[in-house]
Amino acid sequence: MTDRRIREVLVEAAAGAWRPRHPGGRLGPHPAWADLDEAGRREAFEAARQSRRLEALLDPEGLSTTARAVMARVRTGR
Amino acid sequence: MPDLDRHLPGIAAGDPDAFQAFVVGAESRLREGLASFAAVVDTEAVLQEALLRVWQVAGRFREDGRPNGLLRLATRMARNLAVSELRARGRVVAESDSEVARRLDALAVADAALEPDPLLRRRIEACRRALPPRPRAALEARLLAGGGEPDAALALGLHMRLNTFLQNVTRARRALILCLRRAGVDLEAHP
Repeated sequence: MTDRRIREVLVEAAAGAWRPRHPGGRLGPHPAWADLDEAGRREAFEAARQSRRLEALLDPEGLSTTARAVMARVRTGR
Repeated sequence: MPDLDRHLPGIAAGDPDAFQAFVVGAESRLREGLASFAAVVDTEAVLQEALLRVWQVAGRFREDGRPNGLLRLATRMARNLAVSELRARGRVVAESDSEVARRLDALAVADAALEPDPLLRRRIEACRRALPPRPRAALEARLLAGGGEPDAALALGLHMRLNTFLQNVTRARRALILCLRRAGVDLEAHP
Protein backbone atom coordinates (compact mmCIF):
# COMPACT_ATOMS: atom_id res chain seq x y z
CA MET A 1 0.00 0.00 0.00
CA THR A 2 1.08 3.58 -0.63
CA ASP A 3 1.60 6.00 2.28
CA ARG A 4 -1.67 7.70 1.31
CA ARG A 5 -3.58 4.42 1.48
CA ILE A 6 -2.01 3.50 4.81
CA ARG A 7 -3.00 6.89 6.18
CA GLU A 8 -6.61 6.49 4.93
CA VAL A 9 -6.86 3.08 6.57
CA LEU A 10 -5.55 4.45 9.88
CA VAL A 11 -8.02 7.36 9.71
CA GLU A 12 -10.94 4.99 9.08
CA ALA A 13 -9.88 2.69 11.92
CA ALA A 14 -9.60 5.63 14.34
CA ALA A 15 -12.99 6.95 13.17
CA GLY A 16 -14.79 3.79 14.33
CA ALA A 17 -16.62 3.66 17.66
CA TRP A 18 -14.84 0.60 19.11
CA ARG A 19 -12.30 1.45 21.80
CA PRO A 20 -10.08 -0.82 23.90
CA ARG A 21 -10.71 -1.03 27.62
CA HIS A 22 -7.95 -0.61 30.21
CA PRO A 23 -7.82 -3.20 33.04
CA GLY A 24 -9.69 -0.78 35.35
CA GLY A 25 -12.52 -0.57 32.82
CA ARG A 26 -11.71 2.88 31.46
CA LEU A 27 -11.73 3.31 27.69
CA GLY A 28 -8.41 3.97 26.00
CA PRO A 29 -7.42 5.54 22.69
CA HIS A 30 -7.64 3.47 19.51
CA PRO A 31 -4.20 2.08 18.54
CA ALA A 32 -4.64 3.56 15.03
CA TRP A 33 -5.31 6.99 16.53
CA ALA A 34 -1.94 6.84 18.29
CA ASP A 35 -0.24 6.08 14.94
CA LEU A 36 -1.65 9.20 13.23
CA ASP A 37 -0.10 12.67 13.13
CA GLU A 38 -2.19 15.65 14.24
CA ALA A 39 -3.60 16.31 10.76
CA GLY A 40 -4.61 12.66 10.48
CA ARG A 41 -6.33 12.82 13.87
CA ARG A 42 -8.36 15.82 12.73
CA GLU A 43 -9.35 13.85 9.61
CA ALA A 44 -10.40 10.95 11.84
CA PHE A 45 -12.52 13.32 13.95
CA GLU A 46 -14.27 14.62 10.83
CA ALA A 47 -14.80 11.08 9.47
CA ALA A 48 -16.25 10.04 12.84
CA ARG A 49 -18.58 13.04 12.86
CA GLN A 50 -19.89 12.14 9.40
CA SER A 51 -20.14 8.43 10.20
CA ARG A 52 -22.08 8.98 13.44
CA ARG A 53 -24.61 11.20 11.64
CA LEU A 54 -25.11 8.61 8.91
CA GLU A 55 -25.36 5.78 11.45
CA ALA A 56 -27.97 7.63 13.50
CA LEU A 57 -30.02 8.27 10.37
CA LEU A 58 -29.80 4.60 9.37
CA ASP A 59 -30.73 3.32 12.83
CA PRO A 60 -34.45 2.84 13.56
CA GLU A 61 -33.95 4.27 17.08
CA GLY A 62 -31.62 7.05 15.91
CA LEU A 63 -28.58 5.61 17.69
CA SER A 64 -25.07 5.94 16.28
CA THR A 65 -22.49 3.23 16.99
CA THR A 66 -21.09 5.51 19.71
CA ALA A 67 -24.51 5.58 21.38
CA ARG A 68 -24.88 1.80 20.92
CA ALA A 69 -21.46 1.18 22.52
CA VAL A 70 -22.31 3.38 25.52
CA MET A 71 -25.78 1.92 25.98
CA ALA A 72 -24.46 -1.66 25.78
CA ARG A 73 -22.22 -0.88 28.77
CA VAL A 74 -25.00 0.94 30.62
CA ARG A 75 -27.43 -1.95 30.14
CA THR A 76 -24.96 -4.64 31.14
CA GLY A 77 -23.56 -2.61 34.03
CA ARG A 78 -19.97 -2.95 32.75
CA MET B 1 -32.02 22.31 20.62
CA PRO B 2 -34.71 20.80 22.84
CA ASP B 3 -34.31 20.66 26.62
CA LEU B 4 -32.84 17.21 27.28
CA ASP B 5 -33.62 17.61 30.99
CA ARG B 6 -37.09 16.28 30.20
CA HIS B 7 -35.46 12.84 30.46
CA LEU B 8 -34.09 13.55 33.96
CA PRO B 9 -36.84 11.91 36.05
CA GLY B 10 -36.40 8.62 34.19
CA ILE B 11 -32.62 8.82 34.29
CA ALA B 12 -32.66 9.58 38.02
CA ALA B 13 -34.89 6.52 38.49
CA GLY B 14 -32.25 4.39 36.75
CA ASP B 15 -34.18 3.87 33.50
CA PRO B 16 -31.71 3.06 30.68
CA ASP B 17 -34.31 3.95 28.02
CA ALA B 18 -34.50 7.49 29.42
CA PHE B 19 -30.71 7.74 29.36
CA GLN B 20 -30.66 6.43 25.80
CA ALA B 21 -33.00 9.25 24.76
CA PHE B 22 -30.60 11.70 26.43
CA VAL B 23 -27.60 10.15 24.64
CA VAL B 24 -29.34 10.40 21.24
CA GLY B 25 -29.94 14.10 21.82
CA ALA B 26 -26.59 14.91 23.44
CA GLU B 27 -24.01 13.02 21.38
CA SER B 28 -23.44 15.43 18.50
CA ARG B 29 -23.27 18.46 20.86
CA LEU B 30 -20.74 16.72 23.06
CA ARG B 31 -18.66 15.71 20.05
CA GLU B 32 -18.67 19.29 18.73
CA GLY B 33 -17.55 20.46 22.16
CA LEU B 34 -14.47 18.26 21.89
CA ALA B 35 -13.49 19.42 18.38
CA SER B 36 -10.69 21.66 19.64
CA PHE B 37 -9.03 18.60 21.24
CA ALA B 38 -9.26 16.38 18.14
CA ALA B 39 -5.59 16.64 17.19
CA VAL B 40 -4.27 15.76 20.63
CA VAL B 41 -6.87 13.57 22.41
CA ASP B 42 -8.86 10.58 21.16
CA THR B 43 -12.22 12.33 21.42
CA GLU B 44 -14.23 9.15 20.70
CA ALA B 45 -12.85 7.45 23.83
CA VAL B 46 -13.34 10.64 25.88
CA LEU B 47 -16.91 11.07 24.66
CA GLN B 48 -17.94 7.50 25.52
CA GLU B 49 -16.20 7.66 28.90
CA ALA B 50 -17.91 10.97 29.72
CA LEU B 51 -21.36 9.56 28.89
CA LEU B 52 -20.72 6.52 31.08
CA ARG B 53 -19.71 8.78 33.97
CA VAL B 54 -22.81 10.95 33.48
CA TRP B 55 -24.95 7.81 33.84
CA GLN B 56 -23.11 6.97 37.08
CA VAL B 57 -23.72 10.38 38.68
CA ALA B 58 -27.07 11.35 37.10
CA GLY B 59 -29.06 10.07 40.06
CA ARG B 60 -27.44 12.74 42.26
CA PHE B 61 -27.74 15.57 39.71
CA ARG B 62 -29.70 18.67 40.77
CA GLU B 63 -31.20 21.06 38.18
CA ASP B 64 -30.26 24.76 38.31
CA GLY B 65 -33.49 26.03 36.72
CA ARG B 66 -31.95 26.54 33.27
CA PRO B 67 -32.44 24.14 30.31
CA ASN B 68 -30.06 21.31 29.47
CA GLY B 69 -28.43 21.06 32.88
CA LEU B 70 -27.40 17.43 32.40
CA LEU B 71 -25.98 18.21 28.95
CA ARG B 72 -23.95 21.05 30.45
CA LEU B 73 -22.67 18.68 33.13
CA ALA B 74 -21.76 16.13 30.43
CA THR B 75 -19.97 18.85 28.45
CA ARG B 76 -17.92 19.84 31.51
CA MET B 77 -17.09 16.20 32.29
CA ALA B 78 -16.01 15.51 28.70
CA ARG B 79 -13.81 18.60 28.66
CA ASN B 80 -12.28 17.74 32.03
CA LEU B 81 -11.48 14.23 30.82
CA ALA B 82 -9.83 15.64 27.69
CA VAL B 83 -7.83 18.12 29.77
CA SER B 84 -6.73 15.34 32.15
CA GLU B 85 -5.52 13.28 29.17
CA LEU B 86 -3.57 16.26 27.88
CA ARG B 87 -2.01 17.13 31.22
CA ALA B 88 -1.03 13.51 31.80
CA ARG B 89 1.08 13.85 28.66
CA GLY B 90 2.50 17.22 29.69
CA ARG B 91 0.58 19.19 27.06
CA VAL B 92 -0.74 22.74 27.42
CA VAL B 93 -4.51 23.28 27.34
CA ALA B 94 -5.40 25.78 24.59
CA GLU B 95 -9.06 26.37 25.42
CA SER B 96 -9.70 29.10 28.02
CA ASP B 97 -12.25 28.84 30.85
CA SER B 98 -14.20 31.78 29.37
CA GLU B 99 -14.59 29.93 26.06
CA VAL B 100 -15.95 26.93 27.95
CA ALA B 101 -18.35 29.14 29.95
CA ARG B 102 -19.62 30.71 26.71
CA ARG B 103 -20.25 27.28 25.21
CA LEU B 104 -22.08 26.09 28.34
CA ASP B 105 -24.27 29.22 28.31
CA ALA B 106 -25.17 28.54 24.67
CA LEU B 107 -26.42 25.11 25.70
CA ALA B 108 -28.66 26.56 28.41
CA VAL B 109 -31.28 27.51 25.82
CA ALA B 110 -34.08 25.21 24.74
CA ASP B 111 -36.31 25.24 21.70
CA ALA B 112 -38.81 22.82 20.18
CA ALA B 113 -37.80 19.19 19.66
CA LEU B 114 -37.09 18.28 16.05
CA GLU B 115 -38.93 15.22 14.84
CA PRO B 116 -36.95 12.75 12.70
CA ASP B 117 -37.55 13.53 9.02
CA PRO B 118 -39.21 10.44 7.46
CA LEU B 119 -38.33 11.60 3.94
CA LEU B 120 -34.66 11.87 4.90
CA ARG B 121 -34.75 8.35 6.37
CA ARG B 122 -36.29 6.99 3.17
CA ARG B 123 -33.62 8.74 1.11
CA ILE B 124 -30.73 7.36 3.13
CA GLU B 125 -32.25 3.87 3.04
CA ALA B 126 -32.39 4.14 -0.76
CA CYS B 127 -28.75 5.26 -0.76
CA ARG B 128 -27.79 2.31 1.45
CA ARG B 129 -29.52 -0.15 -0.90
CA ALA B 130 -27.64 1.38 -3.83
CA LEU B 131 -24.20 0.75 -2.29
CA PRO B 132 -21.97 -1.85 -3.99
CA PRO B 133 -22.04 -5.19 -2.10
CA ARG B 134 -18.67 -5.06 -0.33
CA PRO B 135 -18.87 -1.47 1.00
CA ARG B 136 -22.45 -2.18 2.06
CA ALA B 137 -21.38 -5.36 3.88
CA ALA B 138 -18.57 -3.50 5.69
CA LEU B 139 -20.88 -0.66 6.71
CA GLU B 140 -23.56 -3.05 7.96
CA ALA B 141 -21.02 -5.05 9.95
CA ARG B 142 -20.04 -1.87 11.79
CA LEU B 143 -23.68 -0.93 12.37
CA LEU B 144 -24.51 -4.40 13.71
CA ALA B 145 -21.48 -4.46 16.00
CA GLY B 146 -22.50 -1.10 17.49
CA GLY B 147 -18.93 -0.25 18.48
CA GLY B 148 -18.68 -3.45 20.49
CA GLU B 149 -16.13 -5.33 18.39
CA PRO B 150 -12.79 -4.34 16.86
CA ASP B 151 -12.65 -3.99 13.09
CA ALA B 152 -10.28 -6.95 12.83
CA ALA B 153 -13.05 -9.26 14.11
CA LEU B 154 -15.60 -7.71 11.75
CA ALA B 155 -13.22 -8.10 8.78
CA LEU B 156 -12.65 -11.74 9.68
CA GLY B 157 -16.40 -12.33 9.73
CA LEU B 158 -16.65 -10.98 6.19
CA HIS B 159 -13.56 -12.88 4.97
CA MET B 160 -11.85 -9.58 4.20
CA ARG B 161 -8.38 -8.43 5.12
CA LEU B 162 -8.51 -5.63 7.69
CA ASN B 163 -7.20 -3.02 5.25
CA THR B 164 -9.75 -4.07 2.63
CA PHE B 165 -12.54 -3.88 5.22
CA LEU B 166 -11.52 -0.36 6.27
CA GLN B 167 -11.24 0.80 2.65
CA ASN B 168 -14.77 -0.50 2.09
CA VAL B 169 -16.07 1.40 5.13
CA THR B 170 -14.54 4.58 3.69
CA ARG B 171 -16.08 3.87 0.27
CA ALA B 172 -19.48 3.30 1.89
CA ARG B 173 -19.36 6.56 3.85
CA ARG B 174 -18.27 8.62 0.84
CA ALA B 175 -20.87 6.98 -1.42
CA LEU B 176 -23.67 7.64 1.09
CA ILE B 177 -22.71 11.30 1.43
CA LEU B 178 -22.50 11.70 -2.35
CA CYS B 179 -25.84 9.93 -2.85
CA LEU B 180 -27.51 12.18 -0.25
CA ARG B 181 -25.97 15.27 -1.83
CA ARG B 182 -27.36 14.26 -5.22
CA ALA B 183 -30.78 13.93 -3.55
CA GLY B 184 -30.40 17.49 -2.25
CA VAL B 185 -29.59 16.54 1.36
CA ASP B 186 -26.82 18.39 3.21
CA LEU B 187 -25.64 16.18 6.04
CA GLU B 188 -24.32 19.21 7.95
CA ALA B 189 -27.89 20.45 8.29
CA HIS B 190 -28.87 17.29 10.21
CA PRO B 191 -26.77 17.15 13.39
